[in-house]
Amino acid sequence: MKNLAIFIFSGFFFLPSTLANAGVLKDKNCGSCHRLNATEKSFTGPDLHYAGSKFQPEWLSAFLKRGEVIRPAGFITDPGFLKGPSENRPPHPSFPEEEAHALTEELMSLKIPRQTSVTSEPLSKGQRAKIKYQFERTFSCISCHQSLNLAGKVRGGISGPSLVNAGNRLQADWVADWLNTPETYTSKGRMPRYKMDPATLIQFARFVMMLKKENIK
Amino acid sequence: MLLTILVTGCGENEQARPAIKPPTQQEVKQASPLVPQQKLAQVTENTRQTYQWYCAQCHGMKGKGDGINAKFLTVPPRNHTKAEYLETRTDEQLFEAIKFGGLSVGRAPCMPAWGHTLNEDAIASLVQYIRELCQCEAL
Repeated sequence: MKNLAIFIFSGFFFLPSTLANAGVLKDKNCGSCHRLNATEKSFTGPDLHYAGSKFQPEWLSAFLKRGEVIRPAGFITDPGFLKGPSENRPPHPSFPEEEAHALTEELMSLKIPRQTSVTSEPLSKGQRAKIKYQFERTFSCISCHQSLNLAGKVRGGISGPSLVNAGNRLQADWVADWLNTPETYTSKGRMPRYKMDPATLIQFARFVMMLKKENIK
Repeated sequence: MLLTILVTGCGENEQARPAIKPPTQQEVKQASPLVPQQKLAQVTENTRQTYQWYCAQCHGMKGKGDGINAKFLTVPPRNHTKAEYLETRTDEQLFEAIKFGGLSVGRAPCMPAWGHTLNEDAIASLVQYIRELCQCEAL
């Protein structure tokens, strides 16, 4: 009974906060490029209808204040995608602190159910070397994604989103879910579909989470 | 006795089995070709779109090996318009390279396996499209 009262009270407490931000994404016209719910068919920027499952709020807030380039060649559906980076491509808008905070809060409320649970424990040195080998040679991820080599240098292709700072940007569970069932998130990406065994899948997600820009040397 | 059972446990009694000569590679290929439909594969608009969507990221829009990832790879992507190399590869080898990745055919690991993304008909069709790009056939 006490728990029920707390639940109801917390619901009332949470409601105004949610309502206060309802529509910030709409006000800022984010839906003109991004998909904000699964029923929308077309979008020209990264799909955000699961942003709350994918991103870390600290990174998202910092990104909204001062954007950074995640996809050097642009989004996969850009008409000029296969022509590579272009100076003509407009940068992502930047927002002042308060707006970035409100947008982050609303984006983090956009979630879809998780399928995998990944421990945040870093890989051992041996596991890391093994997965790095698979990352580069077995699954060829490095061909399309920028990453960090063991010397802390940036290397890799640019057609996929950069993974150089993935450990600060993404959520481990989402990385595993993306690798396991990409069709949950996109009807057609440009990335190959992999069938990893569950243990490799988890280790892969943990490896990606170890890629952080502070490790660049 | 136990050791004997353990050593031969997963096998058969070799002495009781009549000696059978293993088939040659040619005989295996004739009996079960790797790509039964490959010769029937057609290059369609869908094939070209598939190439542009997936392959062109590395191999370039015109297949010249100059895709947007090319300059970042340790081994340059294959130029599909050059016959010199491609005519030394069989259709089966090209099919396997696409399906199982570069390492599977002893080439660069930069080329990922597309076997879980594209079905065999689509891969066979891409092989024919590569033949169209290089204007060559296996020697």
